[in-house]
Amino acid sequence: MQGYVRAGSSQPVWLFPFIVSVVLFLSVLPLARLAVVGISAFANGGVLEVLSDPLVWSAVYYTIVTAIIGTIISLIIGCTFAYLLTLTDIPAKGPLSFFFVLPMMIPPQVTALAWVQMSGPSSPLLKALHIAPPLGSPQPLYSVAGIALLYGVQHAPLVYLALRAGLMTLPRDGVEAARLSGASRLRVFRDIILPLSLPGVIAGAAISFVSCTGNFGIPAILGIPASIFTLPTLIFSKFTAFTGRTFGDVALLSAIIALISVAGLAIQDRALRGRDYRVIGLSGATAAFELGGWKLIFTPLLWIVLFFMLAAPFFALVAGALVPAYGVPLTFKTMTFHAFEEILFRQAVTRTAFVNSLSLASGAAVGLLFVTVLAAYALTRRKDTLSRIVSSLVEIPYSLPGIVMAVCFILVFAAPIPVLNVTLYGTVWIILIAYFSSFFAVSLKPVVSAFHQLDPALEEAARLSGAGFFRRLKDIIVPLIAPAAGASVILVFLIACNELTISALLWSAGTQTLGVAIYNLDDSGSSDLASALSVLVVFMVVAMMLLLELLAKHLPKGVVPWRS
Amino acid sequence: MKTLVSAAALLAASLFAIPASAANLVLYTSQPNEDAQATVDGFMAANPDIKVDWVRDGTPKIMAKLQAEIQAGNPVADVLLIADVVTLERLKEDGKLLAYKSPEAAQYDAALYDADGYYYSTKLITTGIMYNTSAAMKPTSWKDLAKPEAKGLVTMPSPLASGAALIHAQTLAAVPGLGWDFYKSLAENAAVASGGNGVVLKSVASGEKAYGMVVDYLPIREKAKGAPVEFVFPSEGVSAVTEPVGILASAKNADAAKKFVDYVLSEKGQEGFLKLGYIPARNGMKLPAGFPARDTIKVLPINAAEALKNTDKDLKTFTDLFGSK
Repeated sequence: MQGYVRAGSSQPVWLFPFIVSVVLFLSVLPLARLAVVGISAFANGGVLEVLSDPLVWSAVYYTIVTAIIGTIISLIIGCTFAYLLTLTDIPAKGPLSFFFVLPMMIPPQVTALAWVQMSGPSSPLLKALHIAPPLGSPQPLYSVAGIALLYGVQHAPLVYLALRAGLMTLPRDGVEAARLSGASRLRVFRDIILPLSLPGVIAGAAISFVSCTGNFGIPAILGIPASIFTLPTLIFSKFTAFTGRTFGDVALLSAIIALISVAGLAIQDRALRGRDYRVIGLSGATAAFELGGWKLIFTPLLWIVLFFMLAAPFFALVAGALVPAYGVPLTFKTMTFHAFEEILFRQAVTRTAFVNSLSLASGAAVGLLFVTVLAAYALTRRKDTLSRIVSSLVEIPYSLPGIVMAVCFILVFAAPIPVLNVTLYGTVWIILIAYFSSFFAVSLKPVVSAFHQLDPALEEAARLSGAGFFRRLKDIIVPLIAPAAGASVILVFLIACNELTISALLWSAGTQTLGVAIYNLDDSGSSDLASALSVLVVFMVVAMMLLLELLAKHLPKGVVPWRS
Repeated sequence: MKTLVSAAALLAASLFAIPASAANLVLYTSQPNEDAQATVDGFMAANPDIKVDWVRDGTPKIMAKLQAEIQAGNPVADVLLIADVVTLERLKEDGKLLAYKSPEAAQYDAALYDADGYYYSTKLITTGIMYNTSAAMKPTSWKDLAKPEAKGLVTMPSPLASGAALIHAQTLAAVPGLGWDFYKSLAENAAVASGGNGVVLKSVASGEKAYGMVVDYLPIREKAKGAPVEFVFPSEGVSAVTEPVGILASAKNADAAKKFVDYVLSEKGQEGFLKLGYIPARNGMKLPAGFPARDTIKVLPINAAEALKNTDKDLKTFTDLFGSK
């Protein structure tokens, strides 16, 4: 080990400064730029006007309420699936797990549309059953409950993946010892599994809460018709009515969102403080419990939940793509493939969007992983205020709605970069950098929780035997955190693939993403085209997941998150 | 581990394989995607040496995009084809447009283009009332939407998302007997305003709402495809936008942009709009199927300069009535 190392720390001296500078570039610089714009706007007055607007406070209220209820729903669904699929001998685990992760790929705005289709006055399903509500009936999903329910559905896989990564590293011997000593299944769950998996649950809850506060697709479709505004949709509406004060207003609204998210994360931090759950190595707790007779209850329950989360919205989408016009009942007579034809053979945007989204998503996922592993190492090994501040800074861009980050990056990169004299605005690179900034937190979470459970003794031993930093990384740390790293890559890839809010402002001619293409088609009244493209996206994602499934035996254990 | 690294390398390599877009001409438009693609395809067939990259969004959103780019000193668009002349008038006054005298202008009514050649109207898009065929009342007048039978069943596009919607509100606000009081009565009748015209089409066609203010070609086109909707030109008259085309002063491809302007104004380009179901702006053109005779459509006047001056005030009046949508 060359170079100076601080006593009692095994970090190379360049590591922490490197992480800090990355975070400064991705989090602080764009937000500072926005702050400058905001402050200069306030210098002209206007802050009181924003704060005295009752709409702002109702948006704050709705944002918090929907995020809390949505988080609770996603925890209930996500934890149920994670515990049952990781720790029990429930049948058809593989397919269940595979399908449960799938809804995450359906962009939120498409999920919302599909659910609205399933329950509205013109729902083909309800019409066929003759229980469709009369014309002009209020749509039950256009409510706080509807928004929260879809938040829960949308974010349950996030909780599932975060918790599962933690459950994979549970010490199986502890569970077995307790069972052999005669502890009941419930007792083992309560006294061993629950406490040891708590970091995963809390991490999942935090991811879910932060995602809810920043979600735009769902409240845009379900909230606006009922005049329910959350902060992200309020910001969006301020943007489309741009006046001289818009930037200042948005800066303030963003600050409010940031506060809400940071408060949520502070609660997470408190919950995790003073707990130390480190286990030795990987032990893969597989099927620690036999369900016995409970199978008859749990198996159908899980499949029914999946049907509503996945199959029903998907059929609504397919139906939406096959109808000749909106509102026409779907029969074999009326069915048409015009939308698919238009999307596949005429619209130039289709190919562009696929290429852009796939490249951006893979670039963001893989690029972030390299930074994430180093950052997680640095942040979990230092227990000082500075590292806590850096952790919070990483979270901020993710907890802000994409539209705010998009504006930040427009302000930062719009003018040509000095010295290099290149303009990033209007290229894919600005979207990629915004993705790096926004999804850093997503990528970091699972890896950090894996580091929290890593016994430092292993690495210490290697260090004392003279292994350098990169050698320790390669031989000890990476194999142990592989499951979490896999989860991190997949998570970022999937979220980036269906991302809409960031690219909604940063796209330009030739750099449309799939999310933009779908939203735009739908927005222009071509919901049949939007549905057709969404169906293609779902097929593509399923194909990619199947490919991973096939590759799984050649990958390190735990890289494919839905596999045991 | 090795496989993982090589897989990562492969993914990273794929990122650099993004084809640099080698487009010559960049078009920003508010036409729906299918129509925009058809317009661009027609232009590229007529000018095989020019490639077009285009983006589509609601007029206010596309303007927000353009404003951000202009502020950044890097406007990407060469040519605009957006909802209304008021927006282009504003750009003209800000010195953002390029003057171009198109030879095709001779075939157009002088009221339909800017005398200095900064922008040219390409078609006539009116806003009337659409209703779901299962609705109890068949509206014939704007005021029907404020009747008790329509309570909670009316939807309209938001001026924050649609250029036509802003012009529509400003037009009706200036009509004696309607005015902002009419909009107030709509708000009291629990009418909603959200999103663009596409959103209105969907919610009326699906039966979530029974009545909607909407641009003419959407429901007329959907009805032909079998959707359960009807469109009426209300007795008081309809507002109209003319979807003008204009070239940005900052255009990197001004020559190609001029060719584009000539094409959309030419007989061939106008035929294309007619096929898509729009009323062409050019003299002596037919009307699309499903429209009443041209002289039966009463178009309400709008004072563009007044409208431009009052835009912010009118937006605020509207959003105060219907929430910030």
